[in-house]
This record gives sequence, C-alpha cells and structure tokens, in this order.
Amino acid sequence: MNVEKFSYDNQIVKLFLIATIVWGIVALTVGVWIAVALYYPELNLGLSYTTFGRLRPLHTNAAIFAFIGNAIFTGVYYSLQRISKARMFNDTLSKINFWGWQLIIVLAAVTLVSGITTSKEYAELEWPIDILIAVVWVVFGVNMIGTLMKRREKHIYVAAWFYIATFVTVAVLHIGNSIELPVSLTKSYPVYAGIQDALVQWWYGHNAVAFFLTTPFLGLMYYYLPKAANRPIFSYKLSILHFWSLIFIYIWAGPHHLLYSAIPNWAQSLGTVFSIMLWMPSWGGMLNGLLTLRGAWDRVRDNPVLKFFVVGVTAYGMSTFEGPMLSLKSVNALAHFTDWIPAHVHVGTLGWNGFMTFGMLYWLVPKMWKTELFSKKLANVHFWIGTLGIVVWVIPMWWAGITQSLMWKEFTPLGLLKYPNFLETVLQIVPMYIMRSVGGALYLTGIIIASYNLFKTMGMGSFVANEEAEAAPRGPITDKLQYGMIHRYLESKTLLFTGLAFVAIIIGGLVEIVPTYLISSNVPTIASVQPYTPLELEGRDIYIKEACNSCHSQMVRPFRSEVERYGEYSKAGEFVYDHPHLWGSKRTGPDLHRIGGKYSNMWHYLHMENPRSMSPGSLMPRYPWLLENQLDVSSLEAKISAMRTLGVPYPEGFESQANAELMQQAEIISNDLLENGIVTEPDKEIVALIAYLQRLGTDIKTKVAETK
Amino acid sequence: MKVIKKLKITAILFLLFIFSSTILAETAVEGGDDLGSLIKIMVALTAFLVAIIMWLILVYSEKSEAAEASGFSKFMSMINSRPPIDEEQNLLLDHDYDGIKELNNKIPPWFMAIFYGSILWAAVYMVNFHILGSGNVQEDEYAEAVQIASMEREILNRSGALVNEETVTILDNAAALASGKDTYVKNCAACHGMNGEGLVGPNFTDDYWIHGNKVNDLFKTIKYGVPQKGMISWQAQLDPTQMQEVASYILTLRGTNPANQKAPEGELYKYE
Repeated sequence: MNVEKFSYDNQIVKLFLIATIVWGIVALTVGVWIAVALYYPELNLGLSYTTFGRLRPLHTNAAIFAFIGNAIFTGVYYSLQRISKARMFNDTLSKINFWGWQLIIVLAAVTLVSGITTSKEYAELEWPIDILIAVVWVVFGVNMIGTLMKRREKHIYVAAWFYIATFVTVAVLHIGNSIELPVSLTKSYPVYAGIQDALVQWWYGHNAVAFFLTTPFLGLMYYYLPKAANRPIFSYKLSILHFWSLIFIYIWAGPHHLLYSAIPNWAQSLGTVFSIMLWMPSWGGMLNGLLTLRGAWDRVRDNPVLKFFVVGVTAYGMSTFEGPMLSLKSVNALAHFTDWIPAHVHVGTLGWNGFMTFGMLYWLVPKMWKTELFSKKLANVHFWIGTLGIVVWVIPMWWAGITQSLMWKEFTPLGLLKYPNFLETVLQIVPMYIMRSVGGALYLTGIIIASYNLFKTMGMGSFVANEEAEAAPRGPITDKLQYGMIHRYLESKTLLFTGLAFVAIIIGGLVEIVPTYLISSNVPTIASVQPYTPLELEGRDIYIKEACNSCHSQMVRPFRSEVERYGEYSKAGEFVYDHPHLWGSKRTGPDLHRIGGKYSNMWHYLHMENPRSMSPGSLMPRYPWLLENQLDVSSLEAKISAMRTLGVPYPEGFESQANAELMQQAEIISNDLLENGIVTEPDKEIVALIAYLQRLGTDIKTKVAETK
Repeated sequence: MKVIKKLKITAILFLLFIFSSTILAETAVEGGDDLGSLIKIMVALTAFLVAIIMWLILVYSEKSEAAEASGFSKFMSMINSRPPIDEEQNLLLDHDYDGIKELNNKIPPWFMAIFYGSILWAAVYMVNFHILGSGNVQEDEYAEAVQIASMEREILNRSGALVNEETVTILDNAAALASGKDTYVKNCAACHGMNGEGLVGPNFTDDYWIHGNKVNDLFKTIKYGVPQKGMISWQAQLDPTQMQEVASYILTLRGTNPANQKAPEGELYKYE
C-alpha cells in the first residue's frame, strides 16, 4: 500500500494556544474587577470607560470570544488535522483566521469601553466589526470543510460532526442577529423591533451558548478525553443520537430566556418544552464522556488532565440539568432577573469550558513541545484552587438569587409589598457579592498558576512547527446507502453532512420567529403608542451607550408583586418602535419600564450626578459626565431617516425639523430644572436621558386616561 | 447495602416528585403565601440534588457490577444494559481515528426512557395550555392573583382595621412619632430633607402648604401622590398606619426652623 508523507501544522495551534492563555487572564481579570464594582461602585475611578455597564460586555465578550474562542480554535486546529490525517486545507486561511480573530478582539475591547455598542447581549459589537467577524468565521469554515474534503481518513469522526455544526450554526446566528441599518461608522439600528428583536436576540443568545460554548467543546471532548484516557468511546450509537437530537432541539429553546415577558404565550411554551426535551440529548454528551472513562477511573486520581476533564464534564451535566429546570415557568418566575442566572452560566463557563480548556492545554503543551509537564503538583494546585473558586462563586449566587427573588415577591398581611424599596433587597445580598468576587479571584489565581506552569513546560521542551506524518490516501469511498449503515454513509460525505446539519438547525428558528411577523395577533397594537421624539431618541442612545440595560430591565412581568412595585405589566404593543429592544436580562437595579413620570426631572438630575444623594446606599456608579457632555446631534437626521426606513412612522421631511424640535423639548426640561434651582444648558446629554426616562412606559397611561 | 437502599428510595422519591403536578403548573398563585415560596425552594433544592444523585448512581453502578447480584444491582444492570468491561472487546467497532476507537454499546435504557418521557411531557404540556386551554397562561394567572388579593383587601377594609383619608387622626404618642420619623428618614428625606427643610420636595417646617395642612390632607397626598409634581404614591409601599404615623410626624416639624430651608411654596395657613 502506498503511503503519503505530509506534515501537521503545529505553528497555528501554538499561536492560538498562547492567545488562549493571554486572553483568559485578561477576561477573568475584568470579571473579578466588575464583581468588585458591584459592591464598590467607586471602583470606576470616576471614568466613563470603566463603569460596570461598559466593562460587563467587555468581560463577557473577552471570556466567550477571546478566551474560549481561541481555545476552540486551538483544539480544532490540532485535532481536525489528526482525525482527518491531513494538514489544514490552506495555511494562509489559517493565518487569516488567527490574526483576524485577534484583530476583532482588540477592536471589541476598544469600542466597548468607549460605549460603542448595539446593546444586544453577546452581540454588542457594531456593524463594521460584525462584518469582520462574519468574514473571519467563514474563513475558518472554509478552511475546516476544505480539510475534511481532502482528508485521508474514510469517515468523519464525531468530533468533527460537532465542529461542522458549530461552524454552520454560528454563521447563521451571527448573520441573522446582526442585520442592522448603519447610521454612521459607529452606530446602527437592528432591523428588528420589540418582541421580534427580543426573539431574534435570544435565538442568537441562547444558541451562542449552544453552538459556541457547548458543541465545539463536545467535539473537543470527543478527541482529547479518549486520547488522554487511552480508552475507546463508550457508544457510537449514543454519539449519533445525541448529536442530531442536540443540534435540532437546542435551537428551539431560545424563548426560555423570555418567560413571563411580552412575547406570545405559545412561543414561551415552546421554549419550555424544548428545554425539557433537551435534557437527555445534553446528558448524552456527559454520559459518553464519563463512560469512556470506564476502567480508567483509577488513573483519574493522579492524572491532572483527566481530573480537569471529569469535573468539566460533570459541570456540563449539572448546568444542562439546571437549564431545563430553570425553563419550567414556576422555577423561572423565581430565578429570572436574579443572580441565580449568572450562577447557572458560570457553572457552565468556569466548570465546563474553563476546565475542559485547562485539561486540553495540560495535555497539548507537553505533547507539542515533546516533554513532560513542568510541574504536576502545580497543575493539581490549579485544579483544587479552580474547583474551590467555582464553588465559592456559584453557591453564594444561588442563595443571593433565591433570597432576593423571595424578597421581591413577599407581601405583608395587609397586602403591601414587604420590601417596597428595591435597594433593601440589594443590600441584603451584598455579602454574597463579596464572596462571589473572592471565588472569581481564586479562579483567576488558578489560571495564572497554569500559565506559569505551561510557559515553563514550553521552555523545557523543543517545539516542532511542522510535525511529520504519513498515511495512506483515502481511495474511493465504498459505503453504500443501505439500511443500518445510513449514518456511516453520511459520515463519508462532507458536504451532505454539512447540509443536513444546516437543515436540522434552521427549522426551530424559522418556526418561532417568522410567525411573529406574519400573524398580527402576536403583537396586539396599542393606538396611543407613538414613536420617540428626537430628544428621547438621542436619550435612548445614551441609555444604550452607558449600557443601563446591563443592570436595569424594561419588562414588568405579569405578577402582582411586580405590578405593585413598578406599575402595569408590559405589553407587546408597547415596544413596536424599540430598535433594539432593551428588556435586559438581569435586575441589579429596579425595572425601568414604568419609570416615566414617577420622579421629577430634578430627581433624575441629582440621581445621575450621585445616586447616593437620592437613594442612600445605592450601588449604582455616578454619571457626572452626563451633566457636562454636550449632546452629539450630528447624526440625528440620519437616525430619523434610518428609523423611518425600518418602519417607524416619522412623517416625510421630519428630519429637517428634528433638530428644532429637539431643542424645544430640551428647553422645557432645562427650564423645569431651573425652576427647581438647577442651572443646566439644554444641550447636555443629561437632558436627553431625562427626556427618555420620563417617556418610558407612559404611552399606555395616556390611553388609560383617555378611556376614563 | 444500606446505602444502596437509601439511594434507591431517594431516587424513587425524586422521580415521584418531579412528575407530580405542582411542577407541571405554571406558578402557584403568589401573594403572602409562604407555603408557595417554600414549595418553590424545595423544588429548586431537590432538583439540584438529583444531578448529584444521578451522578452517584452512575459512578456507583461502575463498582456494583462486580458485586453479587443483589436486587439493586439487577435493577441497575437492567436500566443500564451494558456488558461487563471485560467483554468490551466484542463491541469494538472497526473505527480508528488517530488511535481513538469506538465501542458499539447500547444506549442505556434509562436514558431512552427519560428522553421519550420528556417528549411525551412536552406534548401533554402543549395540549394542556394551548389546545385544551385547561392550564392558566400568564394573563389568567395574574388576574387570579389580583382577584384573591383584592378580596382579602376588601375583608380588611370592612373590618374597619384600616385607617383612610377620612378617618385618619393625629397620633401624638412618642412610639408612633418615633416610628413615623423612621419611615420619614427612609422614604421622604431624600426629597424633603433630613429635617423637613425641603429639597426637591417642599419645606415642611414653614406655614405654607400646597395641598392642605390637615392630617387628612397629608394622608391623602402621601397615599395617592401628586404625580405631575413628582410626588409618588406611597400606598403600595406604606401601610395605612405607617402613612398615619408619618403624616403625624411631619406635622410636628412646623416651626423647628432647620438650616438650608427651601423657599415657601403654596398658600399661607394661619395658625393660632
């Protein structure tokens, strides 16, 4: 049999590997920083760039796309070549993938701290970066599919099934969620509004978790776990079943992020039931991982790599049980908007993604540098400090979430809220916030120890950029499409497999999102809901820029306790002009949907200058720059006409009067402030923000007043 | 073997619990209902336990295979349906990817049972809420919670236990005024000043009043608020006694002449 000689590209793996370690430290440092900022608001040092609202998306983006993203590329570039018995399709594409991705990360960091954001969670980056992401991601995809096409192995291994699903779905999600109309180089509005925007956002957000944090790591697990344990995969049948059921069902579960919101009941129920059905497909991955270790458990004790894998896979099992449970409406009513959700997420990210990454790095570095790990002892220290960090992070946040939620809901025997002051429920959980930051700091210490250990190991060994290998050419594919061998046949057809994965993941999104456009009863219109005035629109963009939605929701759920606290529960028809929606996902501060008219303009002015002057003990940072910054109205005309293009009924030619109208409204507010003894120019950012806040949720009240 | 029995009982209890109807419902009606909250916490905690229990079962079953065939290990081997590890050679497929081999083990029957169960559950759920309409969707749930609360409120009102803007009187005992002061500091001082000198809201220490100077007037202003002037309604946050106490306390501030007084607003009232 003739044998072909070729080489594996280890250089690209090395680049991604180093980027993983570096960005991991950056992402977790920002995480610890904002964990402290939550109970020590002065930590921003008086700067707008370092407020919680700006740094929170920086942390999530850095952790997901920089740390975990680079870890995925590291793992994929190494394993894909080997399970295909082929070098990567094209070295230039590999390099574009690497440098393009790092460029995206740097651009993301710069824009996010500057307040350039779309406000959509995990998709905060503005349109030029979105395009860059799409291009780099497709480069990755082409490189991967190309490698699979020229593989010498007859069939595609299960790890690569997950890589294929990852590529296809993330591409669809990213492009679908980022369809936006640019206003300027740094500002755009999404084409979706209100409940559609919310559904698209969480179709994306939920499946970013699924196809960026789950499927690629299952793929990595299927390569690195059996390699490290030297054991066969437990069940090929289980691989097939859980792969297809996972990717098909996952897509449908997005609406569970919107339970008890204003989206239609049928969509919420689909979110719930598909989440429950997702339980077993998710656990299929855990089972195949843990049962592959059958007969190797004695080695787990003294092999740090396997230790990390076991805890990682167990954390995956825990969070994929917790997820369906949180999707039950009765549990969700308790947990949503509270710290339970970050706790749930961090079991997955710190436990599953983090530990799988560390296990992989501890296995890869000695392998690629042809040496032993510098210190097994340090790796064990990392393991224990990391595990302790997760526990100290997660358990206080579970309790914080449950405690606060019960306080929100508690009534006195007279039928009044027991804790009408929101702040009281926040101050109650500050000790748990402090513990969480300690947990985060422990975990960060762990990764710093790991980086020392890994760089030392690299120093000891000798790296080979191109690893020589040889294998027989693939030869003709002999599989036939016959009963019992259908899947085996599919595994030999790269493009067919990719196409079927695409079909599996596209159905759920279409069924849930398209009807909200086509069936008008899904968004009952409310006649009194009008477009924002120019000043309010500018104020809304300041709200977005400062990322107020990081801590404040705009969605009063239909619970008696929320209606008592905030006012009438939110209706779908109230959000029809909201490009984007700003419902938020976490209430670190109170809901703001009915804030309009609740306090005076002066109250808001003083509160923004120093929240503690109006709410003693408040944990909100000060926003003194809003009082000084000149409102930038340079793109107002473009904004109005963009909004009209998106279907907001501003009359033709309105953009030419928009500026005058803006000034008129601004003067009313600045005069009102003056009457109360506050001297401010009408063209300050604060005036626009006040105008927006005073408008929020009030349109529906006009209607009530009229009908009375 | 005691441990195994306990494990078994816990697992069965959990299964009974998870398929009981309380979880199928959306929320229990909320409101002063401690039992409801308790149930929710129990659901949450029990649910967390299951992940750990399942895991234990999984790991434990690994060892019990070698043990003598007790009832439990028979049960476990039935729901796991996997041959002992020494026989795995027979299951080895001819797959080899970079040295990784694959076994042709069956998918564990318990896995398939729960998977099919969840699909069945999903169908029942959708039919219940969206075809038969026999489950409460969120708007119905809300209406029900409000109705129960208003009935309870009505009973209290009729019993005469609650003061209102007509029946309210000035309280002058020290305990009530101290409690009124406490309420004031927590809720009113941010806008009306620590000593009633006025800030965003008007001054309480002069002889001028915008909405009247009787305890009934104050009670009414506190209860319903004056939204156009930025005074919020407090009836959802303070109970009637608290509003009576704080109104009584505010009336004691007249003439205390604190520093930084806000200019008078409203009409001058004559006091003897």
